[in-house]
Amino acid sequence: MMPLYRQVILIVGKDVRIEARGRQTIGLVVVLGILIMVVLGMGLGAGKPISGFSATAILWVAYIFGGVLCFEKTMAVERHDDALAGLLVAPIDRGAIFIAKLITNLVLIAGLALVVTPVAILLFRFDISGHALGFSIIIALGMTGFAAVGTLFAAAVSSTRLQGGLLALLVFPLSLPIIIVSTQMMRSLFEGAGSMNVLGLGTLAAFDVIFLIMSWLVFELVLEP
Amino acid sequence: MTSGKKILAVTFWIVTLTLFAWTIWLLRDDITPVERTMGPIQKVFYFHLPVAINTFIAAMVVFIASIGYLWQRKMWWDDLASAAAKIAALYCSVVLLTGMIWGKEAWGQWWTWSPRLTFSLVLWLLYVVYLMIRPAIESPQRRALVSSVYGIAAFLDVPVVYLSVKLMPDIHPRSIELAPAMKVTLLWWFVSVSLLMWGLLITRYRINRRVRDLNYPVGDETRTESSGRVARAAGGAS
Amino acid sequence: MTVCAVQPELQSEERIAEERTEGAASVDVVASRELGKEIDDRRILRDINIRIGSGDFTALLGANGAGKTTLLKIIATLIPASEGTIELFGTRLTRENGAVRSRIGLIGHGMMLYRDLGILDNLLFFGRLYGVRNPRQRAEVLLEQVGLHHRRFDAVGTLSRGMAQRASIARALMHDPELLLADEPFAGLDAPSAAMLEGVLQRLNESGKTIVLVNHNVGQSLELAGRAVVLRQGRVVIDAAAEELTTGEVLKEVGGS
Repeated sequence: MMPLYRQVILIVGKDVRIEARGRQTIGLVVVLGILIMVVLGMGLGAGKPISGFSATAILWVAYIFGGVLCFEKTMAVERHDDALAGLLVAPIDRGAIFIAKLITNLVLIAGLALVVTPVAILLFRFDISGHALGFSIIIALGMTGFAAVGTLFAAAVSSTRLQGGLLALLVFPLSLPIIIVSTQMMRSLFEGAGSMNVLGLGTLAAFDVIFLIMSWLVFELVLEP
Repeated sequence: MTSGKKILAVTFWIVTLTLFAWTIWLLRDDITPVERTMGPIQKVFYFHLPVAINTFIAAMVVFIASIGYLWQRKMWWDDLASAAAKIAALYCSVVLLTGMIWGKEAWGQWWTWSPRLTFSLVLWLLYVVYLMIRPAIESPQRRALVSSVYGIAAFLDVPVVYLSVKLMPDIHPRSIELAPAMKVTLLWWFVSVSLLMWGLLITRYRINRRVRDLNYPVGDETRTESSGRVARAAGGAS
Repeated sequence: MTVCAVQPELQSEERIAEERTEGAASVDVVASRELGKEIDDRRILRDINIRIGSGDFTALLGANGAGKTTLLKIIATLIPASEGTIELFGTRLTRENGAVRSRIGLIGHGMMLYRDLGILDNLLFFGRLYGVRNPRQRAEVLLEQVGLHHRRFDAVGTLSRGMAQRASIARALMHDPELLLADEPFAGLDAPSAAMLEGVLQRLNESGKTIVLVNHNVGQSLELAGRAVVLRQGRVVIDAAAEELTTGEVLKEVGGS
């Protein structure tokens, strides 16, 4: 059997190639993100500038709705034509499938963030210049945990028919701590002391560790051939 | 149920409900003194704390039963997990409501984004969602699988939620001192609320099992686990 | 014993060399002992004792729900057994079966291909996943064999079911498995594709591959296979050479359930 990293690279490569062929998912998700920005911006931001705190919350709305669609798509690829059985019967670690799907998901939502965040900065006159690094770290940590949870549950529900709202329903409440922490950290970063809250960072890190481990362990159990 | 079990159940409920009524009676001002700073509404606290602890216990049962299902793949674990989740959601609703009543009295508003209320809200959402996803999945096996994974994740989320709300601004944290008589009342409340929870849990569990047996009858030959009654001898289909 | 009507294109060069030096394997390809499977309080399989030797062509028959697909999935290492043991190529199957999977090929009624990718890309992916050396060459050869070389850059989603199933066969053979498992592969196939599949299975068997076929069509199975194992409510009720059985007999066992 190939080493784990080679298996992961192969599967990620396959998924990237599929996505590159159609560019459906990333296109859909980016447009959705921009739409959310526009809707919320018109309602909340037209006129007064929006605080870093509010802008973060608005961005998370875009990230989580877009993110859920990405997670569904990366698992849906395996659902058609029993493709997943092809992976399960191959001489690879089942854990490799999890890592590969997680990486693909991270790449997709990072892409989403890279497009949607500048749009938010533009529409909301949201000035992150002093704290760009802090902002990036908070978002990156949050997205990692979010993707871990999303990858796991996308696999769990991918064979049920009523997919659409179901994944969102499962993932959102579990991810609330991320949103609470990142918005509060942004608040203290922009309006308060201007330094990163250590408890917040620790909490985000704890979320990531807990759910990365849990998802890694449980993923194999939710793959039913 | 056999008649022995029936007697036990009836006795249990008589004791529990009587006890519960008695603990409400205990809240009379001459037995349980009114708290200085807050006044009579403070007595909502006797509901709030025991119910909150039991919510956590119910959540733990969901967690353990979910692991049990993933490990053994026997449906009764799922019956137990979903029963416990129902209790957790119910109890959490009470926690939320009593918390809001307390807040209205203490700070003049029905809702604030204080750590405690936010924590109760998120917990409530976690277990209400557990109940909402179940009808959305047709296959009992898939439903049990998804519920189990969620049940484990939700419980693991609880400490993280707790940590996360610590970052939220806390408005005038009020600490209250408990006179000895109040502590006694609180203790009785713990007992009655806990008994109530376990009673509701077991009742709900039995109902879940019964409903499942009736909906998915399996022929004698293929049945491996007996739950006491087989509805009809039908051919098993895979 | 392996028959020498070898189709060199279907066998990789390494395998031909191996067989010349080793001779026929004396270890059963599949051996199960008191195998049972329970799913959610339902007993799907019980007390399955079968042995499949190298080069056998076995048909697994039975009514819906008799357990044949489940049994095939257990052999394919897709799901674990609840009781008993099963060995593939002399190795006990446990939770981790990575190594033995490289000797198994699976065809189902799902294509197990990615419909958004081209046929060749699909084959290359699976080839690399199995560690096939020079997968491109092997893929091209197989595509010629199944008559899809001219459409190798077309996305699998654009193929008819018959063609997609042929692509799926190519996928299953990329790593030249010794054991080929087929779960209702004829479902939904048009006549020419079905005939082609029959031919492929026969040639593979003649060249020494072991085949286990789950199929609904009893008559077709008895013609193709050398042996038939009939399941009923999870148990083996018939296990005999195909030529000793008539379609009628088998249907009688299969029919009532």
